[in-house]
Amino acid sequence: MVSKESCRNEIRAAIRQLSDRCLYSAAKWAGEQLVGIEQDPSNFTPSNTRFQRGSSSIRRRFSTNESISTPQPSVGFSQAATPLPEEDETIDGDLYLLAKSYFDCREYRRASHVLRDQTSKKSVFLHFYALYLAGEKRKEEEMIELEGPLGKSNAINRELVSLERDLSALRRTGAIDSFGLYLYGVVLKEKGNETLAIASLVESVNSYPWNWSAWSELQSLCTSIETLDRLNLNNHWMKDFFLGYAYQELRMHTESLAKYDYLQGIFSFSNYIQAQTAKAQYSLREFDQVEIMFEELLRNDPYRVEDMDLYSNVLYAKEACAALSYLAHKVFLTDKYRPESCCIIGNYYSLKGQHEKAVMYFRRALKLNKKYLSAWTLMGHEYVEMKNTPAAIDAYRRAVDINPSDYRAWYGLGQAYEMMGMPFYALHYFRKSIFFLPNDSRLWIAMAKCYQTEQLYMLEEAIKCYKRAVNCTDTEGIALNQLAKLHQKLGRNEEAAYYFEKDLERMDAEGLEGPNMFEALVFLATHFKNHKKFEEAEVYCTRLLDYSGPEKEKAKSLLRGIRMAQTGFPSMDLEHFPI
Amino acid sequence: MAGLTRTAGAFAVTPHKISVCILLQIYAPSAQMSLPFPFSSVSQHNRLGLYLLSLTKCCDDIYEPKLEELINQLRDVGEEMDAWLTDHLTNRFSSLASPDDLLNFFNDMRGILGSPDSGVVQDDQIILDPNSNLGMFFRRCILAFNLLSFEGVCHLFSSIEDYCKEAHSSSAQFDASNNDLESLTHYDQMDMEIYAIDKATEELELQKNVSGSVPFHLHTPEAIFKVIEGLRVSPKESSRTSKKITETTLVASASSSTVVDTLVDESLFLRTNLQIQGFLMEQADAIETHGSSSSFSSSSIESFLEQLPNLAPELHHVHFLRYLNKLHSDDYFAALDNLLRYFDYSAGTEGFDLVPPSADCSMYGRYEIALLCLGMMHFRFGHPNLALEVLTEAVRVSQQLSNDTCLAYTLAAMSNLLSEMGIASTSSVLGSSYSPVTSTASSLSVQQRVYILLKESLRRADSLKLRRLVASNHLAMAKFELMHVQRPLLSFGPKASMRHKTCPVSVCKEIRLGAHLISDFSSESSPMTVDGSLSSAWLKDLQKPWGPPVVSQDSGSRKSSTYFQLCDHSVSIPGSVSQLIGASYLLRATSWEFYGSAPMARMNTLVYATLFGDSSSSSDGELAYLKLIQHLALYKGHKDAFAALKIAEEKFLTVSKSKILLLKLQLLHERALHCGNLKLAQRMCNELGGLASTAMGVDMELKVEASLREARTLLAAKQYSQASNVAHYLFCTCHKFNLQIEKASVLLLLAEIHKKSGNSVLGLPYALASISFCQSFNLDLLRASATLTLAELWLGLGSNHAKRALDLLHGTFPMILGHGGLELRARAYIFEANCYLSDPNFSVSTDSDTVLDSLRQASDELEALEYHELAAEASYLMAMVYDKLGRVEEREEAAALFKKHIIALENPQDVEQNMA
Repeated sequence: MVSKESCRNEIRAAIRQLSDRCLYSAAKWAGEQLVGIEQDPSNFTPSNTRFQRGSSSIRRRFSTNESISTPQPSVGFSQAATPLPEEDETIDGDLYLLAKSYFDCREYRRASHVLRDQTSKKSVFLHFYALYLAGEKRKEEEMIELEGPLGKSNAINRELVSLERDLSALRRTGAIDSFGLYLYGVVLKEKGNETLAIASLVESVNSYPWNWSAWSELQSLCTSIETLDRLNLNNHWMKDFFLGYAYQELRMHTESLAKYDYLQGIFSFSNYIQAQTAKAQYSLREFDQVEIMFEELLRNDPYRVEDMDLYSNVLYAKEACAALSYLAHKVFLTDKYRPESCCIIGNYYSLKGQHEKAVMYFRRALKLNKKYLSAWTLMGHEYVEMKNTPAAIDAYRRAVDINPSDYRAWYGLGQAYEMMGMPFYALHYFRKSIFFLPNDSRLWIAMAKCYQTEQLYMLEEAIKCYKRAVNCTDTEGIALNQLAKLHQKLGRNEEAAYYFEKDLERMDAEGLEGPNMFEALVFLATHFKNHKKFEEAEVYCTRLLDYSGPEKEKAKSLLRGIRMAQTGFPSMDLEHFPI
Repeated sequence: MAGLTRTAGAFAVTPHKISVCILLQIYAPSAQMSLPFPFSSVSQHNRLGLYLLSLTKCCDDIYEPKLEELINQLRDVGEEMDAWLTDHLTNRFSSLASPDDLLNFFNDMRGILGSPDSGVVQDDQIILDPNSNLGMFFRRCILAFNLLSFEGVCHLFSSIEDYCKEAHSSSAQFDASNNDLESLTHYDQMDMEIYAIDKATEELELQKNVSGSVPFHLHTPEAIFKVIEGLRVSPKESSRTSKKITETTLVASASSSTVVDTLVDESLFLRTNLQIQGFLMEQADAIETHGSSSSFSSSSIESFLEQLPNLAPELHHVHFLRYLNKLHSDDYFAALDNLLRYFDYSAGTEGFDLVPPSADCSMYGRYEIALLCLGMMHFRFGHPNLALEVLTEAVRVSQQLSNDTCLAYTLAAMSNLLSEMGIASTSSVLGSSYSPVTSTASSLSVQQRVYILLKESLRRADSLKLRRLVASNHLAMAKFELMHVQRPLLSFGPKASMRHKTCPVSVCKEIRLGAHLISDFSSESSPMTVDGSLSSAWLKDLQKPWGPPVVSQDSGSRKSSTYFQLCDHSVSIPGSVSQLIGASYLLRATSWEFYGSAPMARMNTLVYATLFGDSSSSSDGELAYLKLIQHLALYKGHKDAFAALKIAEEKFLTVSKSKILLLKLQLLHERALHCGNLKLAQRMCNELGGLASTAMGVDMELKVEASLREARTLLAAKQYSQASNVAHYLFCTCHKFNLQIEKASVLLLLAEIHKKSGNSVLGLPYALASISFCQSFNLDLLRASATLTLAELWLGLGSNHAKRALDLLHGTFPMILGHGGLELRARAYIFEANCYLSDPNFSVSTDSDTVLDSLRQASDELEALEYHELAAEASYLMAMVYDKLGRVEEREEAAALFKKHIIALENPQDVEQNMA
């Protein structure tokens, strides 16, 4: 275990270095982790303790057991201490100071120009970084200016070529530092040279692990577990953050949760870790737990917008209108032009049934971030509600093209095609969706329903799907009932009885009643009577007697028949008069 | 949203257009001199005008020439004043130092347009009429410029800078950016050495190509060169031919852009939607025509198509193209993926110009087309059951959405699918699927279903005026009627003179119903098709009547010569159309084959192979080869056939569902029978039978053929009762599955069996029945051979029937000699000799030549065929005749031949080794 003190010192120094180089989001992230470390008793202030005490009481409800039971990393897992790099100049040059203030005012090109002949590593990096950002800014502008009839112009960051040239020259002479390597990786990635980009980023994080921006760039390049495993990374506690994040994106939620559990031992109060844990739990569909986590997160950090779209999804799923509207309002006041805020508002309108408005807000979210995956999918849902299937299909397809493993969008595509009466075509999409999430009963049931449609009427295939759904612990209990009915329809009474019994067990366990229950009881009673298993039949009949309605009469007549058969009347008579 | 294309037709100002404007200004300056300054003669002036006209016409093309190329062309056009023109052009460009200069430039430009109301025009005055072609172009440029925002002007300005810089740098043979690039790649290679990552090399290469700094050298459209050549050759006549020149310009430029490098030119994406759509259509045609051949590199197109969506994400047609490309390179998963993606984005409303836009399409999309395409894709990849399910769904959906066009196409696709799948295999599939169309017909046989589907599709296509579909449906209909003879119950019999649709004339009639497609398909052209994709010359050729090949062989040859001309212009024929025409020739060949006219069949096949071989689908091409090889085997002997087979094997063995193997087995069997190698023959029969029952079902026709061959093998082995058993069973099968043509040949076989077994009386009714069958189905060649058998049977009854037999033979001799194969002819000759010899009134000594001639002919032909049995018979007869004539030497010769053949017949082993 790394000592908290050393972590704290490392992060403190790192924040200073990162903000010197204007890597603000990495500095922000590091800052969040710094206060996430459990309070140093030597220099606590009253305000700090208040901040932390409030949260820890709630946390204990959930995480005390876990943190105790979490196995500590194995013995061989030694954390290599990476020495903090020394600053190359203690006193900043005047030009650097000027450039930094230009940079802070977002005058990137000016900042870059000021530093054109500087030689200190910090100035060199800032020079290139400012140039890169200037190019990005111009690219964004050009994108809008040049938007041709075909949707997108060929706007590119015009600085990339020269940046790549200069940085690779620096790299060759060995004059590049880890920040430069990070920038080089980013440039290579944009130019589409992923292998080299990964190598450069790995080198950067190995020599300077505290730059979270580098880690997240690296994550975005790890699109498969094979790539991730192939990375040659030094052990450092930052690597655990990275792995947790990467596992999560690769849908390995339990592995990811394990990583976060371990990290929570050091960074007990990190909002980031809490939010990530909530995300993983959300994917595992633990909505209640996620809701509590988010509530707590908001209490600690009331003006947080990141990840709040996920919270709104949870609230949507729980149909908590009021809470959702409260969240939307709060986020709206904080920062209205964030994709997340628009998405939350969209969710709210969707829950209220105002689909046109919802679409408008999702569109706004997409305007702010074209690659905002969940907005595409949610917009697809809205279009489905509005019965505009072509638009829905388009939206889903865009989501799928951004991230081909988005099972929700595949599922949505299947649903849309099924709605249009093309079940055979839809099957392919359901198959795709199931490929990415094979143990979700809802997907299997949707596919089974597709097979069951009157156009296809492929019941054998439907049965197979329902069986898979049952194996995936179908929570809604549709599969068992359908299996029984299908078998009944196909005249396989033994199988039907088996599944009706199972369904009955399930309903008993959950304390449910309803038409399914009657149906099962009536079928089972008749079935056992026909097979001369009078005792079983009687048990089901007596259960039926507890209810009123036509089923009760049916049960009575069944019972009568059973008595007659049992009292030795010629059985052949009964055979001829099935009741 | 929903994949609807944006309004097309934006006319963007580009540097190239500005240079055209500058030249225009030189051509027609606002100062009203009779002849502007640099021109020394009127003809010189006119030539520049013509050149400008062709330039403006080319402006809708995708690729625009670079400044350097333009200057080179000017050099050719301008002769002595070229230096002045070039200088003026470059000076003008270099004077554009700021966006403001651009603004002033266009303001000046407006001055050279003549005002529309200036009615009084002085004689020599040069005015640019605003409504002329040049004037319109000019006005469009000005308008487009005026619509630009300031940012747009800035971008135009910077692209003009690039435009000039490129010309300068390339002329100076020193390119700074190029140099940079080299050093860049050098660095990259250093990096690679450091990292030692194996995969990087390819990516680096790719990236090098992609990066925009590689000077992209464009091939100058040949069109312009042509114009220049035209100008140079005939400056005097140019005004007269000007129209023609521009026409060819359009056509040629359209075609030249398909050959152009597939690298992405940056300026390409400033083009309009329409232009790119047109370009993509051309690419699609290219993929379809070259797709099957290996020479066409699908990967180069693929890499180009991969970049397109990055740059033009709203252009969904690209996905369809990628699908096509993948389809032709047999990549199932990628094809499926791209097909689905295309339809998800476009909702089937983009790129399908054959479908007239209807009011409701925008709301619901046209996903039924997706189903249709998916069905055809599954079919192509060999999943007929899946394809049928999908097509059934397509039928349902198009009925729901009342999309008759799609329905017509789907029905046609379905009937095609059903007819291709063979007979026995489909019944189970159709039974399981639920469909409004097929379920109504569930009680019918598959053939009837195919027929109904075709009829329905034809009716719809006819009413919707879908010419291509109508044509292909007629073709399919003719094919269907050819393959499945309908026997009217009432008027059956040899006396009722009636025509079945198997008659080549009626086949041609049916085909001709679809032929007006070719002269008509230009009217079907849509805004999508590239302007001028149809050459007028080509159409002119078609105006000439092209009668059915029935008239005479002479007319056929004339026709093919027009088609040779046609082939020169074939770039402009859409691939699908030429495929259709090609298929119609194949069908004609088949119908002549049935009819029994070998030369006509061969001619039609040859026409197909020479003219449509390039554009044909591989399966059609294979079929043509098969036909030609079969012809070779029949008329030239086995040696030639096997040599040809070897070539065909190399070419087509990779094709899915190849029929080459089938043909090989048939040929081997044939040859084994001739050589008397019955074991091998039996083995071939068994293998054929094995081919007939695949995993998918039973191919009835193939099965019938296999048992027919088995019966023949048994016959050759002299196991008569078994052979007749097999034949009887076969006849029942044919009757059950309504295979009429096969019935006729089975009957003939039965007659043959009885003849060989010596029961001529029993054979007679079979032979007669076969003849009547042949007569009613217009199977003339088969009828001739049945008549021959009949004659043989008569002779078998005794020598007193020799006269009658001879008469019968002489009646069919023209047919046999004109169209029959080697074997049939030899048989006829031998039989003739036999007849004469057995005729008591015939004396050998006086009339020996009649007999000897026939026998010599026969033995020559049999030599090529390696048919030992008959050859032995012929030499035996010859020896006998010589013996009677007392010509001892020749007798010994014939006897030696006889001995040779008999020995070969009895020792077939050594022949087998040759074959293996």
